[in-house]
Amino acid sequence: MRTIFHLDLDAFFVSVERILNPLLEGKPVIVGGDPYGRGVVAACSYEARKFGLHSAMPIRTALKLCPQGIYLLGHFKEYSRYSRAVKNILSSYAPVIEQASIDEFYMDFTGCKRMYGSMFEFASRLQKEIWIKLSLPCSIGIGGNKTVAKIGSDCLKPMGITFIIPGMEKEFLAPMPVETIPGVGKVTLRELNSKGIYKVCGITKLPSDYFAAAFGKYGIDLWRKANGEGREYLTVEREQKSISKETTFDHDLVNKKIIYDTLFELTGKVCHLLRENNWQASTVAIKLRYSDFQTITRSKTINPSSDDDKVIFDIALEMLKKAQTRRVAVRLIGIGLTKFNMFSEQEVLFEDNETKRKRLFRAIDWLRRKYNYSIVTMGVH
Amino acid sequence: MTKYFIGTAGWSYQDWVRVFYPKLQAGGIDWLQFYSHYFNCVEVNSTYYSYLSPKIVQDWVRKILDSEDFMFTVKLHQDFTHKKNYDEQKIKAVRYNLDILAKSERLGGILVQFPYSFSFTNVTGDYVRKLSEIFQTYNLFVELRHASWQNKHAIELFRELNLTFCTIDQPQIGKAISFEPLITNDRAYIRFHGRNVEAWKKSINSYGKEQSSEEQSDRYKYLYSPGELVEIQQKIKEVQEKVKEVYVIMNNHPQGEAIANAFELIHLLEEKITVDMPDTIVKAYPRLQPITESESNSTQMTLI
Repeated sequence: MRTIFHLDLDAFFVSVERILNPLLEGKPVIVGGDPYGRGVVAACSYEARKFGLHSAMPIRTALKLCPQGIYLLGHFKEYSRYSRAVKNILSSYAPVIEQASIDEFYMDFTGCKRMYGSMFEFASRLQKEIWIKLSLPCSIGIGGNKTVAKIGSDCLKPMGITFIIPGMEKEFLAPMPVETIPGVGKVTLRELNSKGIYKVCGITKLPSDYFAAAFGKYGIDLWRKANGEGREYLTVEREQKSISKETTFDHDLVNKKIIYDTLFELTGKVCHLLRENNWQASTVAIKLRYSDFQTITRSKTINPSSDDDKVIFDIALEMLKKAQTRRVAVRLIGIGLTKFNMFSEQEVLFEDNETKRKRLFRAIDWLRRKYNYSIVTMGVH
Repeated sequence: MTKYFIGTAGWSYQDWVRVFYPKLQAGGIDWLQFYSHYFNCVEVNSTYYSYLSPKIVQDWVRKILDSEDFMFTVKLHQDFTHKKNYDEQKIKAVRYNLDILAKSERLGGILVQFPYSFSFTNVTGDYVRKLSEIFQTYNLFVELRHASWQNKHAIELFRELNLTFCTIDQPQIGKAISFEPLITNDRAYIRFHGRNVEAWKKSINSYGKEQSSEEQSDRYKYLYSPGELVEIQQKIKEVQEKVKEVYVIMNNHPQGEAIANAFELIHLLEEKITVDMPDTIVKAYPRLQPITESESNSTQMTLI
C-alpha cells in the first residue's frame, strides 16, 4: 500500500491576493475575468462561496449572486511565484512530486514513516510550515492512491487534513455524493441520478459490468474509483532522460584490470548523479570502442531498478566481459543509465539487506556534495 | 548560526519623510538614529561621491551608540572603481575614515562596485587584485555587473584573495550578471537594485549626459512583490549555511520602497512573525500590516 499525499492550496489565487492586499481579508473576493464580460470565475474566497459562487461559474452569474463581491483580474505571475515557492518547500521533504496544477501537488511518501514519523502529524507540520513561511493555507489528503488522496484533501477545507485509513477507502467514500469522485461532471451526474444513484455506495453496490455497459471504459474507471481504487504512481517531469559517463584512454589499452577499474569509477560517478536526483535506473548500458573504432553497445534491464553502485557495476561488468570478445586494444569505455524510476526507491529503502549500503552511499554523497567528488574513492575487490 | 544584516543603501532621502521618517512640526529627528532603531546595517553611499570629513564619520558612530550590533558598510570612492584615478593621499583619506568605524567595531566592510563596462579579463582581474592588496585589512565586497565574471576563473581569484563576490539583483539587460549567489568566502553580500527595466535602459542610453537627481534615481524605482521576495528568500536560504554573515542591501530607495522591502525581508529571512516598524511605513505600504507588531508594542522614537 502506498502513501500518497494530495496537497491543495485553499482558494489559492485569493490567498495570494490577500498577501498583496491584506484589506481583502474576510471579504468576498473573486478572481477571474471582467465581471461585465464573458469570462468565468477562476477562484473565489470562502466568503464568496456562501453566495453560491464557485470556480468556472460565468462571472456575470457571479456578479448577480454576489454584487457586493470584490472582483479582481488577478496577478498570475505572482501566483506562479508562490506556486514555485510551495513546490520548493515540498521538494525538501518529498521524494517524488507531481504538480497537477498551479495549486495542487501529489507527493509519494511511501516508506517515509520512519523518517517523518506519523504521516498525519507530518502533514500537519508541512501545512504549518507553508502557512508560516508563505502565509498560504492548504488542505492535505493522505491515501493509498491519487484518487482517494484527492477526495481526502477536499473533505475538510480550508486548512484540513484527512487521513484515509488503508483498507477503509471504500467505506470512506460510500456516504459521499457521487459528484465527489474526480471526473464526474454534470452529464455523468445527471445520468447516475437518473438511474437512482446519488451516493458513492450506490455505485459499489452494483457490479462493474453494469457501468461498463452504461459508460464503457469510463464506467469501469468510475466503478474502480468508487471502490477506492486509483492510480498509485505519480507522473513526474523527467528533464533528463539518461545519465552517462565515458572515458577515452590516453593510450589504447589491453590491460583488462585497468578497463574494469575505469568502469567501476564511471559507475560510481553516474550512480552519484542518480542519487542526487532521487532517481533509480531501470536500464544499464555500456559502450566499448576498440582502437580500430569498432563500437559495441549493450544494455540490460534491471529489476527492481537501482541506484546502488555495486548492483549496477556487477551488471555492467558482466555485459562488458561478454561484449569484449576481440583481442584488440580498447580506446573508450562508457556507462549509461536510462529509464528512471522515482517510485520504487521508498519500497526498498528500509529493507535490511540493502539498508546499510544505502546509508553508506548517502553519507558518501553528502561528503561529496560538501567537499568534492574525489573526497571519497572506492576500490574494487 | 548565520547572522543577517539587512538594511538599505543610504538613509538620507528627502522622499522617505512621511513614508518612513515622521514629519515633525517642531525640532526634528535624526534620520540615522531613527533608522538604526529599526535596522542593524546601512550601506554608506556618500563616500562614493566625496571624501568625507572624519568628523562626519565620528558623528555617525555617536548617533548609533544605542544600537548595539549596528554595522556600516562603506562604498569605495569612484576614483578607485570608475575613474582609476587614485593616489596615496586618497588611499589615506579613505583608510582614515574606515579606521574610525573599524576601531569602534562598526565596520562591516567596503563595497567596491565596478561599472557594467568592467568585464572580466586578465587586466581587470589584476586590477581587482591590486585594490584588494591596498585594502587587504578590511572585508571587501566586490560588486560586478557584467556576466563575464560569473565564471570559474573569476571565482577562483575571489577565493584566493578572500573577497566576497556580491550577489546582485538588477534588470536583466544585455550581459547583466544574474541573481545567482556565488560564495567565495564566509560572507555573502546581496544588493537589490530593483527590476525597473525601462528606466534602467533609459539611464544606459543617457549615460554621460546630465541628469537630474530624480532621473538618476528613477531607475531604482521598483517595489519587489511578495512573490518575488519569497523567491529571493528561498535562494538566499540555499546559501545561508555556507556563510557566517549575510548582508542584504536594498537599493530601490525611491519613496521608501527599499524600506518596505527590507522589513519584508527581515520577516522572511530572520523568520520573525512580526517585525518592529514605524506606523508611517505601514500607512504607506498597507501590505506590511500582517507582519507589523501592534502599535502599543512599538518603541517610541528618540527625539533630539
